[in-house]
Amino acid sequence: MRTTLFVLDVDDFRPLAEVAAKDPDVTVYKRGPYYEVSAEQAIVIDRNATGCRNAVWYSSVAAIRGGRVAVWDKYVLRIEPATVADPDLRTLDVQ
Amino acid sequence: MTLSHKVRGVDHAAFPTYDPKATIHFYRDVLGFPVVHATCALGWGPEQHPDFIHFFFDIGQGDRLAFFYYFGVEAYHDDNEPEILRRARHLAIHVDTEEDLAEYRRRLDGSDWKCELQVRHETVESIYVTDPNGYLIEITRPLRAITAEDDIDANLSADALIAVVEEDKPSLGRFFQLKADLIAERYADEPAEESFV
Repeated sequence: MRTTLFVLDVDDFRPLAEVAAKDPDVTVYKRGPYYEVSAEQAIVIDRNATGCRNAVWYSSVAAIRGGRVAVWDKYVLRIEPATVADPDLRTLDVQ
Repeated sequence: MTLSHKVRGVDHAAFPTYDPKATIHFYRDVLGFPVVHATCALGWGPEQHPDFIHFFFDIGQGDRLAFFYYFGVEAYHDDNEPEILRRARHLAIHVDTEEDLAEYRRRLDGSDWKCELQVRHETVESIYVTDPNGYLIEITRPLRAITAEDDIDANLSADALIAVVEEDKPSLGRFFQLKADLIAERYADEPAEESFV
C-alpha cells in the first residue's frame, strides 16, 4: 500500500497538494472533494512553501492511509509509510 | 432519509449570575448589547430560590443571551473546575467583518475586561474575554466561506470519530486511518484525475 495523504480541496489546504506534487516521487489525484497525495515512500511537505498560517497548517490533514504522521511541527509535515507495528494501523492489511 | 431541518439559530442561551451589576455593565454598557427582556419572578422558583430575575441581552438577529439572578442564593464557585472544561465551554458571538471585530476589541480594551486573546483560526478570526461571571466569551468573524467540500469532509470526520471512539484506544492517528478508509470506499468508483502535472 502506498503512503497516502488526503487533503481537502479548499483554498486553505490546496497549497499542500500543490507543494507535494513538485516531488517527482509523489502523485496527486483528485478523489471526490479531496486531493489524494501518495508515494511509495515518505511524503514530505515544507510548510514555508505552502504559505499556510498556523491554524490552517495544523488542520490541513484530512486523512491518512498506509502511513502515519512522523513529524508535524511548524516547519514540516512528514508522513512515513506504515509498518506492521504501528498501533494505529492494526486492522490494516500492510503488505 | 434526511430529517427536515426547521430550527433557526439560537433563541437564547442562559447562564446563572451572582453579580448582575457587573454582568449588566459588561454586556450592556461595555459591549453595547441592549437589554431586551426581563422576567421578574416572585415566589415562582423552587423552594430554595423562589425569587429570581431572568434578564436578556440582544446578541443580534433576534438571538439573546440570558442570565438568571436568584435572590438569597450564596455564590458558588467551582475552584476545582479543570482548565480544559473552562476553556472548552464558551459562547461565540458572530460579527460579519474585520472592522466589526476590531470595534468590539476596542470596546473591551477600553474597559476593565480587556481582550485576552485574538486568534486567526482555520475559518474564523476570534477575540476572547472572560465575562464578570467567569464565562469565556468569543466574538468571531468568518475568514472564508464554508464550502460544500467542507460539509462533506465534516460528515466523514463525524463518521470516523464515531468509529474510532468505539475502539479500545482512540487516537488521532487511528482516526485519520479510519477516515481514509471511508474516503477510499466512498469514492472508489469515481474516476480520479491526476492533478498539478
